[in-house]
Amino acid sequence: MSIAEAGAAGLRAVPRGLTRGLWLLLVLLGWELLARVSASAFVIAAPSQILQHAASHAGLLWRAFLTTLWAAARGFFWGNLAGITLALVAVMLPRTERLLATLALLVFCLPLVATGPILRVLYGPGEGPQVTLAALAVYYTTFLPVMVGLRAVPQGWLDLVRSYGRGGLTLLREVRLPAALPYAVAGLQIAAPAAFLGAMVGEFTGAERGLGVLTVRALRALDLPATWTIAVIAAGASVAAFAAIGALGRRLELAPPEVLLAAPAPRQSRRWAGLANGALALVVTLLLWKGAMEAFGLPQFFAKRPEDVWTYLLTDAAARARLLEALAETLSLALPGYLCGLGAGAGLAMALALAPRLSSAILPLAITLRSIPIVATAPLIVWALGRGAAGTVAVVALMIFLPTLVACRHGLARTPRAVLDVFAVYAASPLRRLLGAQLAAMLPAFFASARMAIPAAILAVTTAEWLATGRGIGALMATVASTSDYNMLWAAIALIGLAAALAHGLVSALERRILARTNPEQLAR
Amino acid sequence: MDRRAGIAEQNRDITLEGVAKRFGTKGRLVEAVAPIDLVLQGGRTTALVGPSGCGKSTLLRLIAGLELPSEGRITIGEETPAELRQRAGLAVAFQDPALLPWRTVAGNVALARSLARMPRDGAAVEDLIRLVGLSGFDRHRPAELSGGMRQRAAIARALAGLPELLLLDEPFGAVDELTRDRLNAELPPLWEARGATAVLVTHSVTEAVRLSDRILVLTPRPARIAADIAVTLPRGPARDPGSEPFRATCAQVLAALREHQLPGSIAAQ
Repeated sequence: MSIAEAGAAGLRAVPRGLTRGLWLLLVLLGWELLARVSASAFVIAAPSQILQHAASHAGLLWRAFLTTLWAAARGFFWGNLAGITLALVAVMLPRTERLLATLALLVFCLPLVATGPILRVLYGPGEGPQVTLAALAVYYTTFLPVMVGLRAVPQGWLDLVRSYGRGGLTLLREVRLPAALPYAVAGLQIAAPAAFLGAMVGEFTGAERGLGVLTVRALRALDLPATWTIAVIAAGASVAAFAAIGALGRRLELAPPEVLLAAPAPRQSRRWAGLANGALALVVTLLLWKGAMEAFGLPQFFAKRPEDVWTYLLTDAAARARLLEALAETLSLALPGYLCGLGAGAGLAMALALAPRLSSAILPLAITLRSIPIVATAPLIVWALGRGAAGTVAVVALMIFLPTLVACRHGLARTPRAVLDVFAVYAASPLRRLLGAQLAAMLPAFFASARMAIPAAILAVTTAEWLATGRGIGALMATVASTSDYNMLWAAIALIGLAAALAHGLVSALERRILARTNPEQLAR
Repeated sequence: MDRRAGIAEQNRDITLEGVAKRFGTKGRLVEAVAPIDLVLQGGRTTALVGPSGCGKSTLLRLIAGLELPSEGRITIGEETPAELRQRAGLAVAFQDPALLPWRTVAGNVALARSLARMPRDGAAVEDLIRLVGLSGFDRHRPAELSGGMRQRAAIARALAGLPELLLLDEPFGAVDELTRDRLNAELPPLWEARGATAVLVTHSVTEAVRLSDRILVLTPRPARIAADIAVTLPRGPARDPGSEPFRATCAQVLAALREHQLPGSIAAQ
């Protein structure tokens, strides 16, 4: 054994836990140093300050944490139950799938910033809004993968069950449900941090207890250590929940799902069929909107019906101008943030494919960071980058960057082994391999995250505007909610929903066009 | 009543009357199977051979009722394929083994019994697994097996439900030569002894001659019947691939295949 080999073996002999501990210590030291150096800038709280704050407010923080956790857990349960039920209905009744998927997306795009205050009026004091918002924050990210998992069953498995003359229920029990299980676990894993986020947003809207309440208080008082402490606690809880569900999945020996997200619905054979579907979704949305309000007898004062919003927007020119201006301001920040996040995520994934050594260092970090709720980080980022455009753009980009990176990595890893071998046989350069083989394999995952990034971008931009910058439609919604201008609030919600649906349609159309060339198998059903 | 006991006495002939299959929509229509009239005798084994992509598998799927014919009708005895499937009288060994990855080999084989609404029988499952040479692998998941082993598991699964009609789509395509030879000798008695009907799709002329009572040579797409060759060799030593009558039958099948190959194929040049 050469000396070098012995040295390498010795390094490997150091227990992994110890190496990780050393890394953590280094990071903490660097953080402390950075905080001390930049103390005058008043941006970063040092770990020592955070510890100090946590120690001196341990009781308060612990009680707040438990409150938020309990609300998040209940929202997690109800949201996932709803998501899984919806997915089952969509798969068992394929005719409803398109409509259900559209409605689920629309509801998911409702800005929490606006739904929070409305739910607060609806529920009054108490934990209702927190639980509802937590449920709203998780159901879509469970619905989508579970639906894909239930549906993404090879033809051969379907034929097998059919060849014994057995029908839908056997298929569901023997094939679809077991096939969907890994997808469900992946969905639940993403849902855990999201539920925490939803519960905190619910608490922003005027709860009495919880981490969200403390965050608002700390932000108002410009209490830097307190803000950081809460962010660290929220992030820690999210990462822990994310890791726990991942460990559970490994315990069940589930193979990770092949693709996390669905291909877009195939293009209708006739142009008018697509339009008819869109129109149907619009009509059903409006009917549900109005129907639910009438059915529950919600007072017209705060529960505006579609026709109220329509009349308001048509008659009040000043309000219309104010709303459109705010929307334009928001979009001018959300769009660059969206593109930056997608570009950076896909770019880094490709760079890591060229330099695989780096990826083992970066990926675990990315997966961990992905699970940190944006609410925890938004105030910190805006605090660091200022209340100008850069801060908001960065919040949006960061929110999208990590999921895109992880999804694109999955996509790159799905390049067929045999295709890679062909490139290896000709000793093709990594760049050649990337462009010739891996890029095409990455595209479906990239587009899937581009679609999922739309609600994420809306959530990020409105939250940042609301909590920190005080501009754009997020701030507008917060203002009008506090002055009970419910006409404006509902108009803003409707407009955001419309913008999200349009953006989603645009991305899906682009996706279909490109995948039809590069990955036609993804569009087959 | 034991529906699996007296198969032989009933009429189990597979009758195809003017059966044709087209895929796709207007403008991009692919004619897979040209109108075919055919009777496959019950209780016998028929092999379908022909060039790749000629529609052999489609024909098999039509008989299984997994595809519906664009024209014509198919009956098996007095029943439609759907009716036969309803009472689990049919099994398919698919070209792509289509094993469920979360079940073990034994679990996959047992699944067929449960799908066919038969009681659990661990011993029967074990016997089948031994017969296809997978003893010791019954607790393994499909991902841990080679391609040939997966195909053997799929054959065991197809046999597990004691089907009256067994449809085999390239069942031994990925199985190594020696194992294939052994399976060719040991498996057919399993269904022949029960009087079950079998339809086999294969690329291998030797295999077709070895296993079947009748060989249908199909033309390139759309599939038509180019030749209908009865294999009269008695079972047993006469079916040794080295024997003179065996080689003569193979030559007959090959000649029919050559006569009907695609104009652009390698052999035609």
